[in-house]
Amino acid sequence: MPPSPLLRRKADAPSMGLRAQAIAASSAPLVRRQRRAWLTRDGLSTLVFLLPLLLIFGLFSWFPIIRSVVMSVQVTNLVSTPRFVGLDNFANVLADPLFGKAVANTAYFALLALIIGFPIPLVLAVIMSEVRRFKGIYSALAYLPVVIPPVVSVLLWRFFFDPRAAGVFNTILGWVGLGPLPWLQDSGWAMPSIVLEATWAAAGGTVIIYLAALLSVPSELYDAADVDGATIWQKIRYVTLPHLRAVLLITLILQLIATAQLFTEPFLFTGGGPANATITVLLLIYHYAFQNSLGGDYGMAAALSVMLAVFLGVFTAGYLWLTRSWSTTS
Amino acid sequence: MTLLRRNRRRRTQATAERGLVSYAEWRRPAIRWTLRLIQGGTLLFLLVFGLGPLLWLAKSSITPTQDTLRAPMALFPHGFDLGFFVTAWTQTHIDRYFLNTVWIALGSWFVQIATATTAGYALSVLRPRFARVLTGLVLATLFVPSIVLLVPLYLTVVDVPLLHIRMIDSFWAVWLPAGANAFNVILVKRFFDNLPREIFEAARVDGAGPFRLFWSIVLAMSRPILGVVSVFAVIGTWKDYLWPLLVLRNPDIQPLSVRLPTLQPTTELDIFLAALAIATVIPIGVFLLFQRMFLRGGGLGGAIKG
Amino acid sequence: MAVMTHRGLRALALAASAIVVVSACSAATTTTAPTSAASAAPAATSEPSAAAHKPVTITVASLRPGSTQDAFDAFNLQTSQFEAKYPWITVNGQEYNWTAPDFTAALAAGTLPDVYTIPFTDGKGLIQQGQLVNIDARVRALPYASKFNPNVLVNGQDATGKIFAVPIQAYAMSLTYNRTLFTQAGLDPTKPPTTWDEIEADAKIISTKDNVAGFSQMATQNTGGWQLTTLTYALGGRMESTDANGKTTATVNNPQTKAALQMLQKMRWTDGSMGSTFDYNWGSMNQGYASGQVGMFVGGSDLYTTLIQNDNLTPADYGITTIPLASDPNAGVLGGGTLAAVNVNTTEDQRDAAVDWIDFYYMNKLNTQAGAVADAQALVANKQPVGVPSLPIFDKATYDQSQQWIKDLINVPTDQMTPFTSGIFQQPLVNEPRVNTQDLYAALDPVVQAVLTDKNADIDALLNAANTTVQAIIDKG
Repeated sequence: MPPSPLLRRKADAPSMGLRAQAIAASSAPLVRRQRRAWLTRDGLSTLVFLLPLLLIFGLFSWFPIIRSVVMSVQVTNLVSTPRFVGLDNFANVLADPLFGKAVANTAYFALLALIIGFPIPLVLAVIMSEVRRFKGIYSALAYLPVVIPPVVSVLLWRFFFDPRAAGVFNTILGWVGLGPLPWLQDSGWAMPSIVLEATWAAAGGTVIIYLAALLSVPSELYDAADVDGATIWQKIRYVTLPHLRAVLLITLILQLIATAQLFTEPFLFTGGGPANATITVLLLIYHYAFQNSLGGDYGMAAALSVMLAVFLGVFTAGYLWLTRSWSTTS
Repeated sequence: MTLLRRNRRRRTQATAERGLVSYAEWRRPAIRWTLRLIQGGTLLFLLVFGLGPLLWLAKSSITPTQDTLRAPMALFPHGFDLGFFVTAWTQTHIDRYFLNTVWIALGSWFVQIATATTAGYALSVLRPRFARVLTGLVLATLFVPSIVLLVPLYLTVVDVPLLHIRMIDSFWAVWLPAGANAFNVILVKRFFDNLPREIFEAARVDGAGPFRLFWSIVLAMSRPILGVVSVFAVIGTWKDYLWPLLVLRNPDIQPLSVRLPTLQPTTELDIFLAALAIATVIPIGVFLLFQRMFLRGGGLGGAIKG
Repeated sequence: MAVMTHRGLRALALAASAIVVVSACSAATTTTAPTSAASAAPAATSEPSAAAHKPVTITVASLRPGSTQDAFDAFNLQTSQFEAKYPWITVNGQEYNWTAPDFTAALAAGTLPDVYTIPFTDGKGLIQQGQLVNIDARVRALPYASKFNPNVLVNGQDATGKIFAVPIQAYAMSLTYNRTLFTQAGLDPTKPPTTWDEIEADAKIISTKDNVAGFSQMATQNTGGWQLTTLTYALGGRMESTDANGKTTATVNNPQTKAALQMLQKMRWTDGSMGSTFDYNWGSMNQGYASGQVGMFVGGSDLYTTLIQNDNLTPADYGITTIPLASDPNAGVLGGGTLAAVNVNTTEDQRDAAVDWIDFYYMNKLNTQAGAVADAQALVANKQPVGVPSLPIFDKATYDQSQQWIKDLINVPTDQMTPFTSGIFQQPLVNEPRVNTQDLYAALDPVVQAVLTDKNADIDALLNAANTTVQAIIDKG
């Protein structure tokens, strides 16, 4: 029986045969010496290659990050010179009633997105992995909503959510005898409506990821399970899902991080309303920086950004630490 | 990436593949028909939810406003009018905004590829002494969510430090920051790390300098990873809303995503829906053509919103 | 080996030329209105006048995005008329639409045209921030400078009376209603409601008979606060009070505002006459009204033009009457308007040209017969509305005179507007709140939204919270 793919070496470079490996191993010291000689001789060329990285990251990544932290302790608008105010910005943000609302809304969205948006792609992927013919059609259909530009999706769905009885969704609900729903017009319904659209738009991508992972479950495991007399349910529980654990955990944390930065959907659907029911943290940052009287309060916006970044960092670290024993090595 | 490698391995294995359900189970009619039913139901579900909205959009883009408002699910109660497409094209100039999106995608793609390959090459192959530090700095930015960058990046683009140029209202404001993508750099660097070093040695022995090595050998071997980075780049541009909204104020250079919401309050519904339909046709066309690439590398990009 | 170098060089050259092409395309940001013929001419080829005017180019706010081609044609016609009169000036139109959220971002990015318009409410704030050019000398040189209605001019002046922005248009709030819906509901469109009780009753009838919103209220993008202030004024209340020392106190939680909200609450939840859409902003309300989904709403008196240019209104639907005022001595109609201002990022020559443009495009039709007739003819030639009622920038006599000049060219259904035009000049006009107006409106939006979307909204709590917020903003200066 050929060696199981699991037992193959991790470093699976394209043309890496055993002979090449031997050569590489034996020439290591020679390579290192030559590399260093290369550096001193062609230090300039190295610098040339590093230039795009240094310029682009320097100007548009490292410098803004540092500047963000600096701005969070200053009062900045574009007219006067910034002045240092210590932790005032943070205090102001925490004292803002909108802050609590934004955090609660973002968490609420994350929860809803998890409940609705996590199981559905998984179920779909499991079903689709067993499809024999026309697998391409299933994948294409599932991925179609992902391909549509998000702005177009939101604008389309905003029309679907028309609260009148003659609105698209309300008409469909009318077919099954359910009353017209207020959708985006009601503070209770607005957020779930947004979650509905967000799930629809993103599910396809997750399905494809799960599908790829499902297809990588080695068939030997299923053979072994069959020999042990497992039912389909048991196979799903004891073979499929554990194998997917790593992927599931990664997509979960990625989804949570993306959720925390939710902007386009609430911005275009409701602008944060009704009565601040859908204002998210990122919307609040935008509000501080770009919608605040005549000249934004960039200090507060930076402070809130920093707070969110720290929170996400701590959260991710904690998450990875808690789940370190769960993810299979992959 | 491990997933993709495993996938490739699977396809090269013997054809006796099986999934969750064994052959024996397939043969049992109860299981077979239940599964067929579930699959059929899923197909129906996907048709309704995946294709449904698009079909509705296509229908409504040729339906007059009043019909769409009064009976949105009816099929042309008072006939249809293909002229809305023409009006949308001429009045709302979709072609201009679509072209802008393409320009932005091209430029961002180029900047991202250039930055990622040169950086990956330098960090992985040329390996200066401070490579570790640089790699660490790049990795660190991965853990900083992009919102932190929003405000100061905006201020940087308004007035670039040292150079004092304004990039607002020019495509550069979208192209250049796109290159600061640590994910790309790490991806490419990892890939380069796995390239066989003896080929480099052979080339060096033949007298190739670092540039020749980069261009003719490293890049030539990097097609798969370049494909993945390209798909991410294009999808990223397509989804981008907030940043182009902030830095591209001039309507003439705005991409579709920024322009369409602006048009809605002042455009008739039927024309607006026709514009939306036109805006959808091209990405879907591209997707259907390049399905393979999307579904392979785009899955990850699609799951990451924002 | 040599082949590789060659290929490498060629590839490099290709890349370089690609960059050049791409950057050239990105640099081409000429901001012309679609199919604008006149604006494409480069400034250098125009013949300078004898007074040695240097060629200058200015960008000006043209029309709202999505306006009909006819509207843009009319604008282009007027642009070419201007350039014929001032041959050294080239005018580039730039689409423009003032909304509270967009404006501040555009201001920060510095992407506003050289001549742009702002509502009365923003004049003083922008002047204080140094964002507007002092055009006092230039404006005072115009022949009609002394005829400005001081109540209107004050919005564009700084504390010492220097003019920074020119009032170009004034409006008063009105009750805009759909005559067709009225008729279909069995109401007489020539006898619109004259008290708030009648409005409530009519709204109920319309929503029952026509199955649309009988009365509708804007609630987002600061329009909620704007409309609530209008209702408050109509009942006799005020949102801010300034004492003799210049200290401003927020009085958002006054009894009249509470009464207005209670009326809305009743119409929404008890009568059910407000339809089902509660996130209207200025643009979407116009759309809803034009597409026949709104029976009545409180709108500006100047809406007719945009309803035709942007929303495809059927002219026969348009009806407008005055807002009912309570018998309170303080009751008045909220009046606002638009200022034309010059961007601070302009050269002196551009500022001269800018004031010339403001004079020609905005003011001429109000002051000179030739100007009025030319403007009207250009509009009529492109099927744009002429004769939409507005409020005097100068005095009533001048206004009447300007309407007289274009009497024969008026193409709007003025008889449908008589309930408004015959009553507005008897109503006291009240200016919008002076201090941090847009912030005040923004703080009131959620209050209006809550009342309209939450059956158990506690009006007192909402108003008190909003008052605290607004006071904090005012105090922060």
